[in-house]
Parts: sequence; structure tokens; C-alpha cells
Amino acid sequence: MSPFVKNPNRPDLAALQSDSDYDAIVVGSGISGAIIANELAQAGKRVLIVEAAPETDRTYEGYTEYLNHFYGQSAKDNQSPFPINPNAATPRGSELRKLDPLETNSSSYIVQSGPYVSDTVYTRVFGGTSIHWEAKTPRMLPQDFKTQTVFGQGRDWPIGYEDIETDYETAEREMGVSADVEDQKYLDLKFRDSYVFPMRGLPPSWLDEQVAQGIDNSQVELYGERYALKVRPFPQARNGIPNPAYDGGKGFEPTSAVASHQIDIGGRCQGNTNCVPICPVQAKYHSGKTLAKAFETGRVDLLSQAVASKVIIDDASGRVTGIETKVYHHVSSPAYKTVTLRARLYVIAANAIETPRLLLASGLRSKSGLVGRNLMDHAYLLNWALMPQICGTTRGTSCTSGIVDLRGGSFRRSQAAFAVDIHNDGWGWATGSPSTDLVELVDDGNKFGRDLRNAIIDRVSRQLLLAFMIEVMPSESNRVTVDPTYKDPLDNMRPVVSFAVPEYSMRGAAYARQFAKTLFARLGAEDHTHYDPSNYGFIAYQGDPYEIRGGNHLAGTHIMGSDPSTSVVDADQRSWDHDNLYLVGAGSMPTIGTANVSLTMAAIAYRSARKIIATLNH
Amino acid sequence: MASPDITSIEVLRSQLAKAIQLEHATIPPYLTALYSIRPGANTDATQILRVIVVEEMLHLTISANLLNAIGGKPDLTVKGFVPSYPATLPDGETDFTVGVGPLSPETLKAFLKIERPAMAPAGKSRHVVRKSDDHSTHLCTLPEDATLRYYSIGEFYAAIRDAIVYLDQQAKAKGETIFTGDPKRQVTSEYYYSGGGKLWPIVDPASAAKAIDLVIQQGEGKTQAIFGDSGEIAHYYRFLQLDKNRYYQQGDSPENPTGPALTTDWSAVWPIATNLKLAALPAGSELYDAAVAFNSAYRQFLALLTRAYNGEPQVLLDAVPRMFEFRNLIQQLICNPLPGGNGNAAPTYEI
Repeated sequence: MSPFVKNPNRPDLAALQSDSDYDAIVVGSGISGAIIANELAQAGKRVLIVEAAPETDRTYEGYTEYLNHFYGQSAKDNQSPFPINPNAATPRGSELRKLDPLETNSSSYIVQSGPYVSDTVYTRVFGGTSIHWEAKTPRMLPQDFKTQTVFGQGRDWPIGYEDIETDYETAEREMGVSADVEDQKYLDLKFRDSYVFPMRGLPPSWLDEQVAQGIDNSQVELYGERYALKVRPFPQARNGIPNPAYDGGKGFEPTSAVASHQIDIGGRCQGNTNCVPICPVQAKYHSGKTLAKAFETGRVDLLSQAVASKVIIDDASGRVTGIETKVYHHVSSPAYKTVTLRARLYVIAANAIETPRLLLASGLRSKSGLVGRNLMDHAYLLNWALMPQICGTTRGTSCTSGIVDLRGGSFRRSQAAFAVDIHNDGWGWATGSPSTDLVELVDDGNKFGRDLRNAIIDRVSRQLLLAFMIEVMPSESNRVTVDPTYKDPLDNMRPVVSFAVPEYSMRGAAYARQFAKTLFARLGAEDHTHYDPSNYGFIAYQGDPYEIRGGNHLAGTHIMGSDPSTSVVDADQRSWDHDNLYLVGAGSMPTIGTANVSLTMAAIAYRSARKIIATLNH
Repeated sequence: MASPDITSIEVLRSQLAKAIQLEHATIPPYLTALYSIRPGANTDATQILRVIVVEEMLHLTISANLLNAIGGKPDLTVKGFVPSYPATLPDGETDFTVGVGPLSPETLKAFLKIERPAMAPAGKSRHVVRKSDDHSTHLCTLPEDATLRYYSIGEFYAAIRDAIVYLDQQAKAKGETIFTGDPKRQVTSEYYYSGGGKLWPIVDPASAAKAIDLVIQQGEGKTQAIFGDSGEIAHYYRFLQLDKNRYYQQGDSPENPTGPALTTDWSAVWPIATNLKLAALPAGSELYDAAVAFNSAYRQFLALLTRAYNGEPQVLLDAVPRMFEFRNLIQQLICNPLPGGNGNAAPTYEI
């Protein structure tokens, strides 16, 4: 059944400004904000969500506009469905260029102060980056929570896997995860005895099966230990076949598309290959599904086109007294009104770049001085090859399986772990295929007509892209700052990012490149990988070329810990400095291991929601 | 209640085979109307038609489950299973025909008639006598006597529901049951689900009655209510939204929907020929080949469904995505004009 979505808008700014009866203000409508708002509303609390983007896409019609926009774009990059909005700008990889030494590039929304230029993005629309995410939902490994203790790398979490295992289950229910437990028990990952995922695992692609034939039952040796390799399906927050054994035999009902009228679409993934940037049928989870439930309670209001610009603090108590917010009238005009919004408690869930940006713009660096620091993102190294046989590339969802055997192990003392994605969408990410294939076959191959069609089919359906998602540990010099030199049209300071790919990750990348060559050799695949020194992501490491791409898994900028002098938030994501302020999202994560961050971020949002409700009830 | 129409298990099986034929018979008209919409246009009508096609597939599967439950064997490949369009359906005192053509106000009227809630007035027979005066496929006929039709699709199903209860009571009196089918042949929600409807194994009169009620409720509405038990809008009212240019929401009266507005641009539809036959296409032309290719794909689809309904439910998982293939094949036909300027080509469904 499709969730009906109520109209939650509060356009009456004057009344809103004098409304002091909100239990909480949540800044941001992405996954964390949606979960917190919904949990609070279900507990009877009154919530105002402040969203920087317009709310038009809250409805099915708005979502369809994105789709039509996407279909009409010639370059289908990961932001292509989403309209340009200078008042709440979205970073776009297409705007980037390589930096000269010591150069800062402010031509894109995120000011790149180098040395490395990251093409990492997030999306500032209603629902945040959950509209655009790929919906892979691996849990972090138990060892990922204590990398400092076990491997002498990174930081330990103040909580362990066992502390959030139940919250992982809740997040898997909310996001509608399809996976089979038997496929997901590897390394030290464990599940409750009778646990099954809400829906059965999605079928592997034909390409996955072809790769598996060459890889399964092989081994690699690393620092004296042997690791058996196997192609495994990823858990995904996309609707599959409900598992009748779920919830003690009660089963599971998938959540389909959100609309204001019954459309009954998206009950099951149809295998479209454009999960990123947008699922055409909403079989992929996005936070609008959770928000529809929140709005249904009648206790959650929405203020859209509202960019939070300052967190106001009472100097004596350190408590937040309000959020100054700029409400703009139209995306094409910088005209805005400033309002101050008040509630008992404040939750900033604006993502790991925008949350520290807001805090730093408000002059709040925290006593630890760590707001904005320890910025993390997965470092992606792409490797691409042509399979000897037709593999049906471009069929199936973006990615269904991968190799995860090197997500953990004693080698992490020396080099970064990685997970490998087998991409079903061909070389597009690496080379701009298939349009680049077309140009090459016409210009260099002199192909036309039927020959050209056949050559394109032969080329594209043999493409294998392995994306290595390499872990990046927290480093205080990787950071987000603000600088009054760089402002957006609403006079808000833009984020300035300084980032260098740590040596530890580059050691992982160097191994990843060798690993890819070995796999390609086993598969009889012709390696076409080459890294271009003029590319913004180019890095020379120990004399060899690499191109590192951003992973859009931003984390770490309001890091969680057990000591106020070395962390920004506690294990419940409450600010150490301001006791009615919660900073929620992947920014709280002390490490990200080799798990896409959203599921863990959702799990810790449930933890925070419990704490917030208890605090409000106190 | 004794059912005077259906007096034996054999007759019940043959009536359920007709139910399968009936549920399928609406798919070609709905599917063709759906794909006749020009790309990107009429998103509301597209959604409405899409949901209904998906649910007709569900109803088709439920009918197959019913037949399987009582020891029958669904066969969607028998000659004449796919009607020669236009097909004839009962609508109260008169028949009406449903054809394969573009989405238009006239098509919508026929679709509304298919889904319209209609039971015979109290005290009146559920049968209507009509002479078979043409050669079209008549759906919803009584067993044996082709001159007798049911008053409506609702009455057709009501007779089946009564017969199931009656025949099972008779069987029970002899210590037997009519539910002799192998439960493994039942297709359950694992293999098929749509947004608004579930499948369950049919093993007794209660699960059978529940299945028939779902088909009737999703189609015609629950005793003329807009929303069914699960809060879902009946097909009749889904279609009526296209006529009234507005969506229904809970609490609305049939006359006056109060949901969001919608519009249909009847001109943003390919001008395809209605009830086109292969014979009208020049043999050997690309259009002819495309029409044959579609019919062949559709025949394979029906063969896959038949396997799914005969003990291989997992085949349904492969069969459903074939609907995407239909879209591509249909588009080759509907985008191209017929020779002689009689509109564009269309699938012929001559299986």
C-alpha cells in the first residue's frame, strides 16, 4: 500500500515565530531527521522540520518532475534529476577541476581548498541524499567499532556492535532491507539467532554470476594470512520478496511509493539500472516514506525553503534558545525573511558537511575544537575491464553483489580494508560510457548503422567495473571550515573543505589495484583501467598513478566519543557543550569501516530518539 | 444455498476456467490503452491504468488458485482463451463490447462498464436471456446454455461463490471435500504482489470466499463503496477519477471526489486503430512482422503463466518482467501509421 502523505506545511511565518510549543526542531529531512521526527511524533511530541529545499517533491508529482528532468538530461550524473537551487546549493562533480599547489577553488558550492579535490556530493532536496543514494545497507563489522584497540588505527566508538544490534534491526525494518542472513554472515558479522531480514535477498545479476564463476573458491594472501574469496550479494534497502518468517512469522509489508493518492507502485524493485540518482518507481527507500508516517500523526509540521543560518546559544547556560532561519520565497531569487524558531530541544540533521558548516557559522567550535574536523568519506578506486563473453551489463539494479572478504582482518594494522562493488551499470562512472563508447566507435572505428549498433551492444554488455570502496580513518586535518570570503546568495557562509587521502588508505588503494589485476586475469578480462594525471582525483603514490573518487559517504565532522575534550557528541549524539542540542547523522561516526554509512546512521538515530523522548518526558 | 446453475464439480471447474478467461480478457484492452499514451504525457491516467493492469494480473492468479484448489488445471494456452476483440460482456439488461484501442473517452466508458458495480435487482433473476446473434466471444455465460448470460460480472462470481459452498457441503455430507487440489500448486504472495492485494493459499470455503470477495471488491467496490476493506480504491472508482478529473479520498461520496485534481489530455495518445487484425496488415511488411512478433511474445507469456499455475509458481517471477518486453514491442506498432491513413498500428492479440 502506498503511504498517503498529508500536507504538513506551515507557511504562516509570523505565527510560527511566536509558536513556542514545539518539543523539537529538526533541521534536515534526510534519513536521520525523518527517523527522529517520526519517533518523536509517534511518542506524542510536537516537531517542526526545517528543510532548506522546496517541498514540491514531497508529492508524487514532484518526484515525477525529477524523473522527467532526469530522462531529459544528456549527462545522467548523480545530481542530474535535481534542479539548480542557488539558495540551497547542491555540490556537483561536474563543476570540479584539478587544483594547482596551494590553490583554492571557490567556483563550486563546496570551496575546495585541497590538496585533494573530492567529487563527493550530497543532495539538498526534500528527503536529502536519500532520494539519490544507492541503498546498499551493509552493517559495520563488530571490529569496526574498536579499530584503535584492535589495529592501532582510527578511533574506538564509545559503543559496540552489540549496543546497536537491535537498532540495526529497527533500521532494517524502517528502510525495508532485502537480504538473506546466510549470505551476510561473514568475518565477525553476527545476527540474532532467529533473525531474518524483512525481505528476501534480491537476485544477483548475470554479471555477478559470471564474475563468481571466476572468483569463488579462490584465495589471496595478505600479511601472512589467507582470505577465501566469494562473490556475495549486498543487503539493499529496496523492496524485494517479503520474507514470511520475518518478525516471528508475521511477515513484512513493503512500503511502496509515497503519494497523495493511490498509485500502488514500487512494491517491488523492477531492476531499473538507475538507483542512483533516482529510483523510477520508489522501490528504493527514501526518507519521504518515514516522513509520510510522521506527517500522518498531525504532530509534525514542515517549514520548507528555510535555510538554518544560526544556532543561538544562551551564554550562561550553554543551552540553545533558538534557530535563526532564512526563508526564501523562490529558488530564482535571493530575497528572504529571517525568522527565529524555538523549541524545547534542537536536532541538527543536515549531513556531515552542512551540520558543521551551520555550527561553525554560528561560532560554535565546541570545547574540543573538533567541529568540522575528522571529515571522512570512502575513497573509491575504480578498475574496469572487458569480459571475454557477453555478461548482460546494464541489466539489474546498479549493484547487486561484490567481494567483501577483505572488509576485515589483521592486515588492517597496516593498510585500509575495502569492499568491492561489481557494477551492473557498466563503465559509466569511470569513463562516461556508453556515450564515450559511441564516440570512440564512430570516430576511431568508423562504424555506422547496424555494425555500430552491434558494436555498442558487444562493448557495453561485456563491461565490468569493479569499484573498490576503501576505508578512510579520521584525521583532524581533514576538515570542513567556513570563511566569510565565501558566501551563498542568502549570505550564508559556504563550506570550505580541506582533504588529503591518508597514507593508510593509499596503501589499501595500491593493494586494491593489484587485487583488481589479479581478478581480471582470473576472469580472462582485458584491463582497460587508466588514470589520467589531468583528472582532479589523480594521486601519484609510490610512483604509480591512481584516481580516487569521492564516495558520498560523508562522516566524522561532529565525532562521537566518551570524553568531551576529544569528541563533539556523546554516544546518544547529544552535544557535550549544549545539553538541548543533538547533532545527528554520519557526522557522529568515529569510524566508517567499509560500510556505506546510511544504515549505521539510521541505527544511531533510533538510539538518539529514545534518549530525546526520555529527556522530554523527564 | 443451492446453486441451480452450477450443479457439479465439473461444471464449477469449467466456470472457474471461464473466470480465468474473463480476468485475462480485460488485460489486453487495459494494457493497450496504457501503452497508447504518448511518452511523458498523462501521468495520472498512466498510473491508474498501470495499477489496474497489475491488479488484473492478481485477479487472474487468484482465479487460477481457485481452480487449482478444487482439483482443476488452469490452461491459458487453449484455443479461444484470448477472445477475438471486440468481446462481449454483460451489463445488466444489455450486453456491451470491449475492444482493443487507444485511451479515449469512449474507451473509458467501456472500462467503467467492465468494473461497474451491478447486481441483479432484488427479486429478479441473476440471469438474462439473450440470443447469441454474433460471432464475438461472450464472457460470463452460464454453463452449457450459451443464450443465457449472467446479469453482471458480480452475479457471475456470486454464482461461483454459492456453488463452492453448496458443493462442499454436499461433499462433506459424504465425508469428502471439493478442495482436493495440491496446495503446492497455489501461488502465494512470495511470487506475486501488487501494492494493494495479497495472495493466500485457497484450501477451504472460507479462503475461497475471501478470494472471490477480493476480486469483486477490487473491481467493483465493496457494496458500491469507493474503498475496500484494506482501504484500497476499487477499479471502478479509479477509472471514474479520470472522468471526474479529481482523485477520491476517504470519506468522499461517489458523486463528489475531493482529492487532488488531475487532468487527462485525450489528444496526447497515439491514434491507433481499434480491434486491428493481422489480415489488415500487408503480409511481409515490417508492421506485419512486428504484430506477429508481439503475438508470439504474448503466446509465450501465456505459456509461462500456465506453467506458473501448474505447480511452478516461481516461473511467475520470470513471467511478470515480460510485461516490459510488451511495452517495447507494442511501441514498435503504435508509433507507426498504417498504410492508407487509418491511424497507427496496434497489437492484434491473435494468439
